[in-house]
Amino acid sequence: VSALELAERALRAAEGDEALALVRTERSGMARFAGSEVHQPTLIENDAVELQIVRDGRLGIASANRTDDEGLRALAARAVEAADSAPADPDFPGLAPEAGPPAVDGYDEETAALSPEEQARLAAAAIEASELDLYGFFTSGLAELALASSTGLAVSQPMTDAAVLALAAVDGASGYAEQTSWRLADVDPAAASQQAVEKAKLTRGAVELEPGSYPAVLEPPAFAELLAYFAYDAFGALGLLEERSYAFDKLGSKVFDERFSLADDALDPRGLPKAFDFEGTPKQRVELVENGVLTGVVWDRVTAKRAGGGRESTGHAPPSSLRHWGPMPFALAVGGGEADSAEQLAETLGDGIYVTRLHYLSVVDPREGVVTGMTRDGTFRIRGGKIAEPLVNLRFTVSVPELLAELPGLSREPVLLNHNAYYDDRYATGMLSPAVATSRFDVTGLGSAPGI
Amino acid sequence: VRELCEHAVAAALGAGASYADARAVVRRSQVVGTRNQRVERLDDSETEGIGVRVLVGGAWGFACDRRLDTQGAEAAAAKACAFAKAAPGGHRRELAPVEAVQGKFRTRVERDPFAIPLADKVELCLRAERALEHEDVKVTSASVRAQREHKVFTSSEGASIEQELVECGGGIDAMAARDGIAQIRSYPSAHGGVSSQAGWEFVESLGLEREAPRVGEQASALLSADQCPSGITTVVIDAEQVQLQVHESVGHPTELDRVYGTEAAYAGTSFLKPGDLGSLRYGSEHMNITADSTTPGGLGTFAFDDEGVPAAREPIVKEGVLSGFLTSRETAARIGSGSGGSMRADGWSRMPLVRMTNLHLEPGEGSLEELIDDVEDGVFLQTNKSWSIDDKRLNFQFGTQIAWEIKGGKLGRMLRDATYTGQTPVFWGSLDGVAGADEWQLHGLTNCGKGQPGQHAHVSHGASPSRFRNVQVGFKQ
Repeated sequence: VSALELAERALRAAEGDEALALVRTERSGMARFAGSEVHQPTLIENDAVELQIVRDGRLGIASANRTDDEGLRALAARAVEAADSAPADPDFPGLAPEAGPPAVDGYDEETAALSPEEQARLAAAAIEASELDLYGFFTSGLAELALASSTGLAVSQPMTDAAVLALAAVDGASGYAEQTSWRLADVDPAAASQQAVEKAKLTRGAVELEPGSYPAVLEPPAFAELLAYFAYDAFGALGLLEERSYAFDKLGSKVFDERFSLADDALDPRGLPKAFDFEGTPKQRVELVENGVLTGVVWDRVTAKRAGGGRESTGHAPPSSLRHWGPMPFALAVGGGEADSAEQLAETLGDGIYVTRLHYLSVVDPREGVVTGMTRDGTFRIRGGKIAEPLVNLRFTVSVPELLAELPGLSREPVLLNHNAYYDDRYATGMLSPAVATSRFDVTGLGSAPGI
Repeated sequence: VRELCEHAVAAALGAGASYADARAVVRRSQVVGTRNQRVERLDDSETEGIGVRVLVGGAWGFACDRRLDTQGAEAAAAKACAFAKAAPGGHRRELAPVEAVQGKFRTRVERDPFAIPLADKVELCLRAERALEHEDVKVTSASVRAQREHKVFTSSEGASIEQELVECGGGIDAMAARDGIAQIRSYPSAHGGVSSQAGWEFVESLGLEREAPRVGEQASALLSADQCPSGITTVVIDAEQVQLQVHESVGHPTELDRVYGTEAAYAGTSFLKPGDLGSLRYGSEHMNITADSTTPGGLGTFAFDDEGVPAAREPIVKEGVLSGFLTSRETAARIGSGSGGSMRADGWSRMPLVRMTNLHLEPGEGSLEELIDDVEDGVFLQTNKSWSIDDKRLNFQFGTQIAWEIKGGKLGRMLRDATYTGQTPVFWGSLDGVAGADEWQLHGLTNCGKGQPGQHAHVSHGASPSRFRNVQVGFKQ
């Protein structure tokens, strides 16, 4: 039974109410390893159905993973009870109309067909390629999202993803690398492992750094994570409407370096393509920042209706469990610059620090875009345009807008960074990001040396 | 379901496993959330399935299937074994011995939270929200939640355990904004409120509507408050923020799997080493931390963990000295101490990990007022706003929603955007007062993340307001 057929069965169980059935299926495997041994393998098989029932403008949502007729009837009864318990919402936009989503990439037969034994073998390939103890995972999965509604919507998309995360670490040294794609053929566990090892070797003998403001090169994993913490709040319509996000009162203003452009583009085949959102609206590319000017935010049907003025959804409705976040830019794509590499960006700066990866970020002030966190697994001093001595992990507290205000350079080719920690149902997301050089990275404290 | 689990275990043994366990879980959750007088979430979800964990040749395998039938059980067992046979590594794994028990446990509830009509929950949220309204408050929100998890565990060693855990909770937030400044206040804690393993009587006891006017008023007042000045000073921290400090700087680093590096790639490791047990000076003599999976109302309360190990109350830090780790059967065997008891899985589709259960800072003496009385110059910090700690759990920075200046033993002007930072053992070493049992509060949180694929754990912490000397306090940094 396909995901769409299951959605249509669930819709029939709604027995004539205005309704939307959303099905998510998952067949995945993750071979997680530590100390060069697999220690947490997880193989998942699940089909989950969500039924949204609308009665007189009142919306109720129920979900379940029992898919027999009795299970679907019980599901419909709980959704009806939820709808009947809600007061009418005058701003409820109604269910999405029938739509023809764009054709996108994002499904690969080889990736979908990987067996548990093959997933274990690919984890082994990463482990065997490392001369240091290796920590991380190999994972691959097939997930499908399907929506059917009483408004005539009937869309589905099978999505594959494969990823390797490699942390080569021993006492006093650690290095990091990752690769993600919707095509297994693009992921080379052994190469990621070796890249992590080479980085780790450079981190031995880390020294301390006087806290202060430094020019910095942020490799793609570091920049992407920092930007995501800022962008999820700053570039969503809900924060704008509620007058609490950074974008409020800045649309149309030049607030960042003119070298910085940012879009949300789930259609880009270099990313993890998505054809439609969780309301069934086709995905659109949205320009968020053009040459430093803040040009837009992403919308779903709920926020578009609330904004009025003919505003329409851009296809960014989140899963219902994240509805309180509002529409989300889950496919950020940073425009590339002119540098060939992160090393060339270091040459541009001449003096500063070089950051591979970040850890445990937290938003200190969403209105001003202040974020704190730590660096890890490859932090270095830049001297004379070259990567010099390794540094201990650094605490930073930065205003992301200030960091973006002066970018002496970006690398040319963005790479795909995995932004899926695989909580809840699998729905692979990532960001296309280059390395960047910034004139200002505020170091506010010191952590421990790299390594295990 | 018990027979189904036994069938899965038998299938795993037949496929070559030397050890196997199976957990069948049925979980129902309800969330009602309102925002600016609109119903934002009205969700009722159910999920069920079986997870089978095996040891084959010393390698772990874990597979799960949503189907609670013979087919699903057999498929999960077969896949778990197939993976374990193919898994690379040296595979030297032992499990600390545990008595194979037949047991049952059920949360004691006065009012089943699922028997409360959804419409009543919506009305409770809307009423509380209306009471939050105040000048400059742009966003009001309220939420209540409930969860019931029924799980059956059987193992190849003969364990057979059935447990039903019921929890519920709620919270409110007011966000005020004016002239480019935005501030938030929450009750009874930030990030979604608090929960307890209890019936609906717990939500009613929170008094969301009663507390809402103060919360809205403070959110608005923060817009006019001065920024917290930077400097090294004495801080008195409220119970909720002390609980988060315990969570991040004691709970996670004492998880023995992190000490052995198994979370290195994601959540991080620990500054602690196995040999530190019994000797490492973690903090001052006022610091007494207890792990207690028997705490009434705790979200980490059970009769048996997800390896079938009985619940217990154990010291983790005694008078400032590291005296215990949170362990699994595997890590307990490795360190040669303890017997596990902290293994918990997020539902049927995840492998159990070493997790906090209920972790408490034991009360000291006196009141919050007495703690403040003894501060000539300092800051009182209340309600978490931001949190970050490094991969070894040493360098941390926390921000709070609100602060008050302390001068001459009295609370003074309100301050905004306060943060404090430190190094774990140095910070706990500066603890010089913990308020007494009358001030001790138990809060449950539902957003503790760990593992890949990610798992949320529901844990509780108890603490009293506490005082720390010579702490670096800052403004947003």
